[in-house]
Amino acid sequence: MDVTVNPAPPASGDDPAAAWRHPASVLPDRAAAYLSLRHARKVYQTRTGDVEAVGMADFDIAAGEFVSILGPSGCGKSTLLSMVGGLESVTEGEIWIEGARVTGPRRDFGYIFQDPTLLPWKSVLDNVLFPIRTQKRPVADYEGEAHRLLERVGLAEFKTLRPRELSGGMRQRVALCRGLINDPRLMLMDEPFSALDAISRDDMNLALVRLWDSYQKTALFVTHSIREAVFLADRVLVMTARPSRIVADLRLPFARPRDVTLQDTPEFNRICAWLRDQIQAGYGRPIQPPAG
Amino acid sequence: MQAVSLVNSPADAAALSVTQAATRAAAQAAAQSAAQSAAQAASAGAARRRAGLLTLRRLVLPVLAAALVLAVWEIGTRWAQVPEVLLPPPSAVLDRLVNAFPLLMKHAWPTIWQSLAGFAIATVLGITLATLLSASTIIRETLYPNVVFFQLIPKIALAPLFVVWFGLGPEARLSFSVFVSFFPVVIATLAGLDNVERDLLRLCRALTASNWQTFVSVRLPHAMPYIFSGMKIASTFAIIGVIVGEFITSRAGLGYLILFASAQAETALILASISVLCVFGLVFYGVVALCERWTIERFGDRPR
Repeated sequence: MDVTVNPAPPASGDDPAAAWRHPASVLPDRAAAYLSLRHARKVYQTRTGDVEAVGMADFDIAAGEFVSILGPSGCGKSTLLSMVGGLESVTEGEIWIEGARVTGPRRDFGYIFQDPTLLPWKSVLDNVLFPIRTQKRPVADYEGEAHRLLERVGLAEFKTLRPRELSGGMRQRVALCRGLINDPRLMLMDEPFSALDAISRDDMNLALVRLWDSYQKTALFVTHSIREAVFLADRVLVMTARPSRIVADLRLPFARPRDVTLQDTPEFNRICAWLRDQIQAGYGRPIQPPAG
Repeated sequence: MQAVSLVNSPADAAALSVTQAATRAAAQAAAQSAAQSAAQAASAGAARRRAGLLTLRRLVLPVLAAALVLAVWEIGTRWAQVPEVLLPPPSAVLDRLVNAFPLLMKHAWPTIWQSLAGFAIATVLGITLATLLSASTIIRETLYPNVVFFQLIPKIALAPLFVVWFGLGPEARLSFSVFVSFFPVVIATLAGLDNVERDLLRLCRALTASNWQTFVSVRLPHAMPYIFSGMKIASTFAIIGVIVGEFITSRAGLGYLILFASAQAETALILASISVLCVFGLVFYGVVALCERWTIERFGDRPR
């Protein structure tokens, strides 16, 4: 199996928490990475004490990489994404993008959330153009791209409709176009298809994979579906909950363009099984005190 | 079928008969689907008729019920010879309405303009205050509990104070009307501004939208149906405010006319004044309710 597997070392030795802190997922030259998280940590202060939402995320992403962050609910993967997007502050550590520290949201990011979050009073086309208007870019320069994107996801004839006239899957496609309209350098996707039914979800995965055949943007894709993570990404980071850690970094051997049939190959399924074992091992691990 | 001439073996014949069977089946299916679509069209027509009947029923039944009450009232008062001072029959009220029409209109005017002005001012003030409350945490923490407090106290009891402060002129009635109808607008608008999907606000932040942009392009449009439902309540409250003001002190207006007529034991005139008030209130409320329906259609996320 032509897979570069970099599982984190098993919890052993004097300090088991320390062993998980540095999964082998950083580039030799960290400054060359497009996105670099350096010991990024998020702690929420609650009445009952500090809660570690994200523990010591330390990894690099090269430009053009599509990375899935896979983990059970509550492992902090969405918080991690928000920190990269500048929507949440980092308690400890740093996040760097193209040599600049992330301190807040940036104009060259694209976001897709779990819900389509479309404006119900605007047409499909105007929803796609919403980031352009909000960021005070010249709308005329982006209208052509909006039409092209909507055509790519099969919504060409629905441009004038309102979101409420569309199905859930169609709405999420609109959100996808909206995320891509300002030609973002980094695409942040927070479980974008988890609210959809299984068939729409497969459909959306295919639509996304097709888009990526030609768009090739750097992307962070948060999901709790193993098959979705593997099908879409170039690389999968596995996160566990309690403690929140990245425990595995897997580079996928699948070339693009990809097809649905990829999901039927033994290799695909072997990788999925391996990832499932990693996640299950995460559940069995004894609870460790927060590091640091 | 052209294939007929080509049949020269049993196998071909069998194949042909299969094809024919298939064609027949297709034809049958076509006929069936035609019948189905005809049936659908018919059932669509029936559905439309049913919907029409339902609307008619919704319109006719309440009108019938009201007519029945009026008829019982008319016949009952005549049959039991109830004195007109106590309860005049509807026909007497109608009679008085026609006779005293110029007088009624003269007194309706101040009530109408003060209600409309009070409503308008309350709407503007209410939306402004709600905007401030939603924009600033400090302002909200300072004022919102007080707004709720005023919302809960019986505001009618404060009416005499407005006479003390603003005198006997229309200012007292107008300001009291504003005071009474202002709170529903604040509460509803604030609910609308706050009730925006959390992810939509996150999206605005992710797009580096300013607070003002977020307000104009997301919060305010989202709040529109809420604002109009608050205005619907305010429209009735505004009239109540003016009438109560007129009860306390005034020399014109329908509230004054009602008091005057009651002093003169002119029950028919009281009821005639109330009828005028009802018509005005209904039209006022109806217009605002129509606007509300439009905002729900325009800004709401599901079809009515």
